[in-house]
Amino acid sequence: MKEHKRHHQMVVTIAAVYLVVLIGTIVNIVRSGVTWPEQADLTNGTWAQAVEEQLTEHLGFHDSLFRIKSRTDLFFGEKMVQGVYVTDDMLLEKLYPVDASPEQMAEAPNRFFEQTGVPTFLMLVPSASAIYEERLPANAVNAEQKELIRETYAATANGVRCLDAYQALAALKNEYIYYRTDTHWTCYGAYAAYKNAIQKMGFSAVPYQRYVISHLTPDFRGDLYERTLYGGVKPDMLDYYIYEQGGAVTSVKAYDADGTEHDRGSTLYDMQMLRTDDKYRFYLGAPCAKLVIRTNVESGKRLLLFKDDFADCMVPFLLQHYSEICVVDLGCIEDISAVDTDGYSQALFLCSVGNWDKQ
Amino acid sequence: MYLASFTFTVAVLPVLLLCYYFIPAKGKTAFLLVCSFLIYAWGAPVRALYLLAYLGFDYGMGLLLEFARPHRTTSTFLLGGSAVLQVAVMTTVREFAAAGGLLFPFGIAIYTLQGLGYLIGIYRGRHPASRNFLHLALYLSFFPMLYAGPVVNYLEFNEQMQKRQCNIICLSEGLALFIQGLAEKVVLADTFGYMFRELRAAGSLSMLTAWLMTISFAMYLYFELLGYSEMARGLGKAFGFDLPKNFNHPFFTPSITSFMQSWNITLLLWFQTNFRHFLFGKVEKKWQKYAVIILTWVFIGGFYGMRVQFLLWGLAIGVLVTIEQLVIAPLLNQRYLLGMIYTALLMQFVWVLFFAENLTEVGYVWRTMLGFGSGIADQNGLYFFTSYIALILLGLYVATDLFRNISDRIGTTAFGRAVDRLKPIWHGLLMIFCLASMLYGERAAGLWLLL
Repeated sequence: MKEHKRHHQMVVTIAAVYLVVLIGTIVNIVRSGVTWPEQADLTNGTWAQAVEEQLTEHLGFHDSLFRIKSRTDLFFGEKMVQGVYVTDDMLLEKLYPVDASPEQMAEAPNRFFEQTGVPTFLMLVPSASAIYEERLPANAVNAEQKELIRETYAATANGVRCLDAYQALAALKNEYIYYRTDTHWTCYGAYAAYKNAIQKMGFSAVPYQRYVISHLTPDFRGDLYERTLYGGVKPDMLDYYIYEQGGAVTSVKAYDADGTEHDRGSTLYDMQMLRTDDKYRFYLGAPCAKLVIRTNVESGKRLLLFKDDFADCMVPFLLQHYSEICVVDLGCIEDISAVDTDGYSQALFLCSVGNWDKQ
Repeated sequence: MYLASFTFTVAVLPVLLLCYYFIPAKGKTAFLLVCSFLIYAWGAPVRALYLLAYLGFDYGMGLLLEFARPHRTTSTFLLGGSAVLQVAVMTTVREFAAAGGLLFPFGIAIYTLQGLGYLIGIYRGRHPASRNFLHLALYLSFFPMLYAGPVVNYLEFNEQMQKRQCNIICLSEGLALFIQGLAEKVVLADTFGYMFRELRAAGSLSMLTAWLMTISFAMYLYFELLGYSEMARGLGKAFGFDLPKNFNHPFFTPSITSFMQSWNITLLLWFQTNFRHFLFGKVEKKWQKYAVIILTWVFIGGFYGMRVQFLLWGLAIGVLVTIEQLVIAPLLNQRYLLGMIYTALLMQFVWVLFFAENLTEVGYVWRTMLGFGSGIADQNGLYFFTSYIALILLGLYVATDLFRNISDRIGTTAFGRAVDRLKPIWHGLLMIFCLASMLYGERAAGLWLLL
């Protein structure tokens, strides 16, 4: 009889765990709804995969369960959660070797320059884990970026000018140049790279003292936090820089890949994004294929900027020097030769090495 | 649908068990069969066609074989023909569907073996052909066994089917076993698999890295197969079946022969009855016997996949077992510790054959393991060693039978009884930890072996 009781207890305990998780899952699904992939097909396995993905995403107590697992792993000696090294000071993404040769990486600016003759500049931004190698856990293996940037620069055609970001950032590594919980650089990091680059592009940089810095939110937790759900690192601060006496944006127009125009008024910043999980998008709004920014700067210069999301917080600095900046998102367009280059005085390719494989 | 997916563990399993226990006894077999087919065809209905074709073929061929039994030549011809046909279909499907990934009819190797065993059983007069299509169909398509076994004999399964019981004891023991199996798969196998893939992707190896890589591979493969087998046994038990054990703590055995006797036991048993004893039972000369043993192992290697390295792995095992029986056994007699060290070390070299892409890689890894590579330790090796040493120790501990020894020994003390009383709590917590581990999606790459 006693033996029977034990078995009842076992079944009841497991059923209770199930019930709690199931109810949690149903609550999550009802609350946030299901986003169903369009290409899911009942006959080729993609439908079953979509079901599994949705269940994983909406699993009851998802975040707590995830933390149980990651904290246990970290306790027993693991130093990484989901491809992100966890240290006390900051979260650092593990870098894998880029799946492209330096020649392939330099190909886009080379070809662009060859075809259009527009003075072309290239800036490759290193990842935080490349700058902060000494902060990685002992013996951590990380792909190398400094040498890769150097080789890519060496592989650029004559006429494509390379703008250093690595040295500029490495010199300031004790400053707050990268977010602790996000892969991106901070506005200060972007400013450091801008200051160095803009001289080579023929302008003099706006001195740092002229800017008034406003804090947007003191508890920004970025994409690395989303991946690790590790709360042990101090949250970040999102700033923006205002140059009262400088040029101002007069109009911002966004274009989809098919050419549809959206008027974004006369500001770059998107306050709405601060209420989402993707707060970094504040700087340049939701991604779009092309963004045309006009300013009241009377230099008459027009810049064509090919970028990934690292450039978002660099644009406010650049627009002090151009009457128009056309921002082309390399992640949203297929072929850069389709971009209209007429009338542009300069072109800048600004990408991070860490994002290379994602594009 | 894989057993270690949220779709199965969270959504399907509770409903399945609830329905099964409330359905009247008469309908249970049919219910299990329908569920097996639905789970097998989940997301890729084309899979069910393979299974149906096999079922129809085996059912018809079974009856035909029984009818033709008095005519030895005809029945031999029939059996030989269907064996060649089934193995050929299985090999082709595995080769071609492997590229498709999602559509791969998993378990094809297992139901081919079981079907073939069923036909051989009829041919040898061990049991009559099944008149009941339902029973044969459930034998071949019972879903828990399709992932990694155990491979069960038709007579045994049929007997289980007749005397199966459904009560609270079965349910609780079955669930406990299922959770243990799930933990072995998602906590241990997935992390070892991740470690193995990362180390292998690093390219250059040091001695430390090479050893870590082979150890993590052996652990990964063991816990992957063990986890699925234990989940199958647990589910089987919850449905009232008593499926046999597939692994019996193979690590830390005193010889390679005993290692292989505790590794994938039901598979070895199948090959011994249906291949070695059936085809070569009358072999008398000593050298012939050993040749047959080696050949059996090559075929077992082929069961894991028709790739050269699996066949080589089988060949290596066969040769080692032979050498062991001829030369080493007397030396190891009574020297358990020595035997254990020799087996553990040698098996690490043998596993390299199993995972290597080609012979160049085998040579490279072997050389590095012996210290003729690039150095003793490198950064990568040290990093993984410090990160996963706790996991490796836990894996080794679970892989031994120390658990059982300790729980046996403390079983009668007050402490032992307290531990035993808290068993439901342990399993509840383990279940929660399993669900947490399953969230680590990137590690749970599907079955590496296409069985």
